[in-house]
Amino acid sequence: MEKTGKSRKRLKAAKELNRVVTEYYVECGRAKTEEKPVGWLPPMNGAIEIFYAMDIQPVFPENWSPICAAFGLAERNFEVAEGMGYSRDLCGYMRNIIGYVHGLMNEEGTPLGGLPEPDILLSPGGGCVPVIKIFQELERRFPKAKVYPADLPQVPTEEILPHHLDYSIAEINRLVDFLSEATGRKLDLDRLREVVKLSDRACELWDEIMTYRRCIPTPFSAAEIGIMFVMVTRQGTQTAVDFLTTVRDEVKEKSAQGLGVLEQEKIRLFWDNIPLWYNMGLFNHFEGMGGVVVAETYSSAWSLRLDTDRPIEALALKSLKSYPLVSCVSVDKRVEMVVKACKEYSIDGAILHRNKSCLPITLGQMDIKKALEAELGIPSIVIDADHMDSRNFSVDQFQTRVDAFMEMLLAKKS
Amino acid sequence: MQSDLLEPFYEAIKDQEQRLRNLAAEDRKIIGYFCTYTPVELIHASGFIPMRVMGGTRTLTKADSLAPSFVCPYLRAALDKALNGEYSFLSGIVQGYTCDAACGVVRIWERNIPGEIFHTLALPYCDSVHSRRFFHSEIDALNVKFRAIDGGFNEQSLADSIELYGKIRRLVLEFYKMRYDGRLAIPASEFLAVIQAGFVTPPEDYLGMLERLAGAAELAAAANRGGTRVLVSGSLVEDGKVLDLVEESGGLIVADDLCTGIRNFYPASGFGLHPIERVIDRYMNRAPCPCRSRVSDRLPFLEDLLERSKAQGVIFLFQKYCTPHLADHPSLVEHCKAKGIPSIATEMEETGVNEGQLRTRLEAFFEMLR
Ligand code: SF4
Ligand code: SF4
Repeated sequence: MEKTGKSRKRLKAAKELNRVVTEYYVECGRAKTEEKPVGWLPPMNGAIEIFYAMDIQPVFPENWSPICAAFGLAERNFEVAEGMGYSRDLCGYMRNIIGYVHGLMNEEGTPLGGLPEPDILLSPGGGCVPVIKIFQELERRFPKAKVYPADLPQVPTEEILPHHLDYSIAEINRLVDFLSEATGRKLDLDRLREVVKLSDRACELWDEIMTYRRCIPTPFSAAEIGIMFVMVTRQGTQTAVDFLTTVRDEVKEKSAQGLGVLEQEKIRLFWDNIPLWYNMGLFNHFEGMGGVVVAETYSSAWSLRLDTDRPIEALALKSLKSYPLVSCVSVDKRVEMVVKACKEYSIDGAILHRNKSCLPITLGQMDIKKALEAELGIPSIVIDADHMDSRNFSVDQFQTRVDAFMEMLLAKKS
Repeated sequence: MQSDLLEPFYEAIKDQEQRLRNLAAEDRKIIGYFCTYTPVELIHASGFIPMRVMGGTRTLTKADSLAPSFVCPYLRAALDKALNGEYSFLSGIVQGYTCDAACGVVRIWERNIPGEIFHTLALPYCDSVHSRRFFHSEIDALNVKFRAIDGGFNEQSLADSIELYGKIRRLVLEFYKMRYDGRLAIPASEFLAVIQAGFVTPPEDYLGMLERLAGAAELAAAANRGGTRVLVSGSLVEDGKVLDLVEESGGLIVADDLCTGIRNFYPASGFGLHPIERVIDRYMNRAPCPCRSRVSDRLPFLEDLLERSKAQGVIFLFQKYCTPHLADHPSLVEHCKAKGIPSIATEMEETGVNEGQLRTRLEAFFEMLR
């Protein structure tokens, strides 16, 4: 097995995905020539729908990082950031994007055309510290961009009270005012309703797609998780709905025919934490021993159904819930979700990626481990790695540990 | 060196566990917190004793089972202590939201260690009419939780607690002034002990200790300490040894921007008609920490400290893996450089600092400054 590598994909939709990704970045680049304002924002909040509804081009520096990892640009970006004094202990997304905006961004010939300079920066208050700090550095790097200092209560999903929601709604309204002022564009509520409907439809499709993975054998594995791209960057667009419809149709068909990733599916695995973007091929590794990764925590966090009758409130709620659900803000809820998923997806074993680059998703993982063992008798293994920085990942160690784990699961099953 | 004068403070630290256990046995509820963003006045006004949880330098036995190695040593040690039952006198943790690590550790603590209240206060990042109103509701919601465990504050009790803490903060800020002017005779590590005693002592008692200290002539007597004037900035410093190392290597610590330093005290109070408004106002104007502020908000504060203290260099002291501080570090260095202020940084690990290596680096640093 190699230290870095792409995954082997089996869905036909994988080809379609390449087109969707390219098109998105072409659209980002074109915004500049079309004089469409470009806004950089963190993912996992209700602002994306507002941006699409106001025809402002959303750009996600966090999403650019997996792309850099896949194209092998991350090392160069890390070098630039670390040269500036950013510690290697900081989240890889942070070092990657800071390195990129101070390095490669100033050069020609970046894959997919690179990122267009921001006219607007949605600088978060809320979410994780690295994301907050990424945007503060972007403020310094792009002094001409208009900055919206956002604010969002960090509160466990299960403890959201009316005043949290009220403040989050007030913040969405403040954002709309800011964007109108900054771009001269008005928000049309009917258009927003449409966008929210599309966003909700994408989530509905996403949930449906994930349900087919409960089938034995499962029609697709974590190796295909790149399809999540539209859930990150395209929520609220027809593109997302169309693409997910194609995926749904293919997956539904496969399930109906009983076609799985493997003919002989022996072990069903669960993956916790962000994948190793520079080595998605890892997910194929299990297949040699009859194992398939059929569910992940990370992918489920991007789908939240929205109340389409109350779009602003729905987006405010989405903003409040998204990050806590995937992080240590809501450990209880997360444990509950994983236990439920492991039951529903008939999981035999869980792989917990102890991710050096992401403390907020890693913290609480041991509680997940304990709960899986105690409540379902599902064993898990902890793998030390990093979703961005391959220097924090040892293939040999991974292989030895995972193979032993698989053998144990196989023995347990037979 | 000032052993008699400082004895009560060192004793309070040394005997903290027993003293707090005794109070808990008398049915006093003790509530732990991690960060200076926790409005201790609210806890105190509710009839509880706030205690800042410390980790200390120790060999960890249980933290690994729940937290990865890349959580800051402070929180790992604190969690380890708790898992070993050393914090069993606590009724729970109430914490103002600061960093990802602290937020996660509250939740993990709640799941694995008994207690009756666990709460993270969602603080606003912006200052506006809306955000103050939101904060007010958040404080009201916390009071509901306090009432559920037989406590809770009212207007009067909160006003009283604010006054008490205001007195404490003013006294300590006075010591800071003395230090800027070269009138504080004690080494930085001893000053740290004065501060740390306050984390684990009921505020009524602590105020008395501070007043006695302030009245002692010896405190300002032998202010002939030498060395290159420096400011220490960073996360939380628990072990005064690192400060001693700085002062033994040729430095004189004249100011700090630490979690266990001025950020705990400045400003002494806030403005507002209602006591809750005063708590909110103090929070909005407090000494900024990288968890909740931009470098551009921190710079004026830092520059003011440098100016008042006439520090010639900055020593950054970080807890290893402390994301908020590590993230701000490059820009701070750049700004210091632009102002002609050299800086040096070191990280505190689970085992403390590498003394030999740090001493050599510090000596070279002070050599250059001379
Ligand atoms: S990977 Fe984790 S730490 Fe990094 S930006 Fe995302 S949530 Fe934050
Ligand atoms: S030292 Fe840093 S990481 Fe640790 S609790 Fe403080 S701010 Fe958080």
